[in-house]
Amino acid sequence: MSSKLQREIGHDEFDPKGTLALIAIYFVIISALWVFMYFVEFLGNDLTIVGTIL
Amino acid sequence: MSLGADSGTYLDQFPDEAKLIRATFYSSFAALFVGALMGLLQVLHRVNVLRLIPSEDYYSYLTLHAVLLVLTFTIFFLVGVFTWGVTTSLDRGLEDLRYTWGWYGLMAGGSLLAGITIIGGFFDAIPLSAAVLYTFYAPLQAHPLFYIGLALFIVGSWFAAIDWFRSWWAWKSENPDERIPLPTFMALTTAIFWIISSLGVAVSVVVFLIPWSLGFIDQVNALLTRTLFWFFGHAVVYFWLMPAYMLWYVMLPKISGGKLFSDPLARVVFILFLILSTPTGIHHQYLDPGIAEGFKFIVMVNTMFLLLPSLLTAFTVVASMEHGARQRGGTGYFGWLRALPWRNPVFTGMALAGLMFAAAGFSGMINAGMNINYLVHNTWWVVGHFHLTVGTAVALTFMATTYWFLPQLTGKKIWNKSLGLAQVLLWFIGMTFMSNAMHRAGLAGIPRRTAEPQYSGFDFQPAAGSVAELNMQVVIGGTLLFVSTVLFIAIVLMTIRGSKVDTLPANGYAETLSGPEDAPLVLDNLRLWAGIAVALVVLAYALPLASIISRGGLFGPGGSPSPQFIDTVVFAGQAIADSLTGVVR
Amino acid sequence: MNIHTYEKFWLAAAMALIVGFILTITYGTVGIGVAMVDDSGETINPENINEHPEFSSPGVEQVGENEYDVYIQVVQFAFLPTEVEVPANSTVNLHLTSRDVIHSYSVVGTNANTMVIPGEVAEVTVNVDEPKEYGVICTEYCGSGHHNMEGKLTVLPEEEFEGGSQ
Repeated sequence: MSSKLQREIGHDEFDPKGTLALIAIYFVIISALWVFMYFVEFLGNDLTIVGTIL
Repeated sequence: MSLGADSGTYLDQFPDEAKLIRATFYSSFAALFVGALMGLLQVLHRVNVLRLIPSEDYYSYLTLHAVLLVLTFTIFFLVGVFTWGVTTSLDRGLEDLRYTWGWYGLMAGGSLLAGITIIGGFFDAIPLSAAVLYTFYAPLQAHPLFYIGLALFIVGSWFAAIDWFRSWWAWKSENPDERIPLPTFMALTTAIFWIISSLGVAVSVVVFLIPWSLGFIDQVNALLTRTLFWFFGHAVVYFWLMPAYMLWYVMLPKISGGKLFSDPLARVVFILFLILSTPTGIHHQYLDPGIAEGFKFIVMVNTMFLLLPSLLTAFTVVASMEHGARQRGGTGYFGWLRALPWRNPVFTGMALAGLMFAAAGFSGMINAGMNINYLVHNTWWVVGHFHLTVGTAVALTFMATTYWFLPQLTGKKIWNKSLGLAQVLLWFIGMTFMSNAMHRAGLAGIPRRTAEPQYSGFDFQPAAGSVAELNMQVVIGGTLLFVSTVLFIAIVLMTIRGSKVDTLPANGYAETLSGPEDAPLVLDNLRLWAGIAVALVVLAYALPLASIISRGGLFGPGGSPSPQFIDTVVFAGQAIADSLTGVVR
Repeated sequence: MNIHTYEKFWLAAAMALIVGFILTITYGTVGIGVAMVDDSGETINPENINEHPEFSSPGVEQVGENEYDVYIQVVQFAFLPTEVEVPANSTVNLHLTSRDVIHSYSVVGTNANTMVIPGEVAEVTVNVDEPKEYGVICTEYCGSGHHNMEGKLTVLPEEEFEGGSQ
């Protein structure tokens, strides 16, 4: 655990904009994958179970 | 936080506890090695590259792989890590070491018993086997010692949980106005939901499966025992995950050169897991007859909300790393990533584990979905998912943090840090190949839990690529993972063989940007959250369980026992029961 | 409690994702009509399957103009009947139960997938369109011969279908 501490950043000065950027990208990827998986892979597949006998 | 004037390594501060944690870790690593070996043999068998044993016996490989990896490896490491966390953060040794070694003995003895019964399945001469897989669904039946071994192991873990409570209670009476230190808070909340959730499988094993495997009862209700398993079976994955989360929250920020972004939010996350992990179990049973769709829908909603604490964790953990990176001089929207300590295997292993966990969120959200489950249930997709979660987020974090813990526990330096870095990278690369192939194979319908996914009447048709290409990726991935495991074990052994040094950092964990003083007091009210957890479990399970029992009977009919072992013991038990009740067969 | 503004954004976004996922599944249920396997089937004693009026002679039976009931016994290590034939453009009601351990009935490459649990009858309905041959496998480990458990579901052109086999 070498510390190459160049400066100290306190609670009020810290602005996690990098985290926001990364997590926004993640949000987009996850949403797109969900839509693809549900509407293309699942609903686009054969023999979907549509009812049980009552 | 560095603690006290005499802070040295953990070994300096708590030598007796260090010995116990070494024992738990070494037990954990032994299980890891054998479990990983099974994994390699399985992969080679499935794709038909190397079949050392007949396919009928493959299921003993699979049972051993799962039990050793997700019960023995994970939980032994967990009890070690939480013991470290509790003693370090309370700055207090354990209350009664004999009690502590007692639970260790129960866990070790239970694992050995269960392990021996499974291994017996490979040898016809040994009248023991337990080829029932990690889920041991009745009426598949294992040797009674398998169930007894598992029960002892679980009970041992309960005693470990109580050990941490004992430490906290003693500390609290001397520090009545202080907030629970974060690592202890995490251990205690985890312990509470562990005990709540494992009660389900404990009832199944102790009330039904052990007497049934001994021949004292004839049949069990298959759906009931399966449901009781999954009462435990989802929460257990969070049990595995919580020590990894703890390390991401309290160790990773410090290693990154920074501080934990928010202590209060960490507490909120653990409370969310405490109250939500168990009332979601039925999402493993979306395709089961005998359970109404309404119950399945409610469980789906609970499960979707269970995504929240993990999504919050992503933010807090990445922000903590960013804090460290910027303190180390990093700048820009993405450039700060380069300022992180990538040469340190402790950091890189945890960071890659976290990255893989984010990918697992994608297959996880699909698995949570009620009707889309038709697409993936029991396919290799599910296996791809959990190799990302327990197989990487948890396992790789455990291995990476071992490079920090082992010096603290032994007073010796890691034998070779560069090899450590190579080891974590190999794991990540291997898992990328293997898990990716598993997900795609699953979408083509290729099943999990089978010795030979090659059928005569049809061919699997992947949407992209070919089965041959998927098989190749799986073999490459599995091989790299095994090499990584061997490398890990080698580094551990060589480290232990080394000599002690004086140059190790002091024991400690990350400080916070926003500390416990910012956390509302109610978050520390463990009784309240435990009460809510129990209430939610009752709400989720009372009606489905009542329905299953009233429809199918408490003791079935659920089919005759299908022993996956030589049934001499069953006959003996049956004979005893018959003579006691005067039954003539 | 101090929550950073960005983390509040993310909390809102995470909740939106979660609600979006729940709404999508709900759309699948109420919009498309996807139904889950549930408890509408009866309970049954696995030892008495061959005394059951329908399961004792498993197979395909026409019950409506374009509707067929199929009764399948699932055992270690086969589906009985192993090959099921139904005509194109019909509604097929599958009824499945196990004589021994937990199995599954999984039509490969499709969404037709159900657990088969001894003591319970699983009932699922699918609409079959064009003629096609599907492999059927058991995907729930059921013992040493699990990997050999294979069946077939054939959707025949309507002219070729001959009224059911029983």
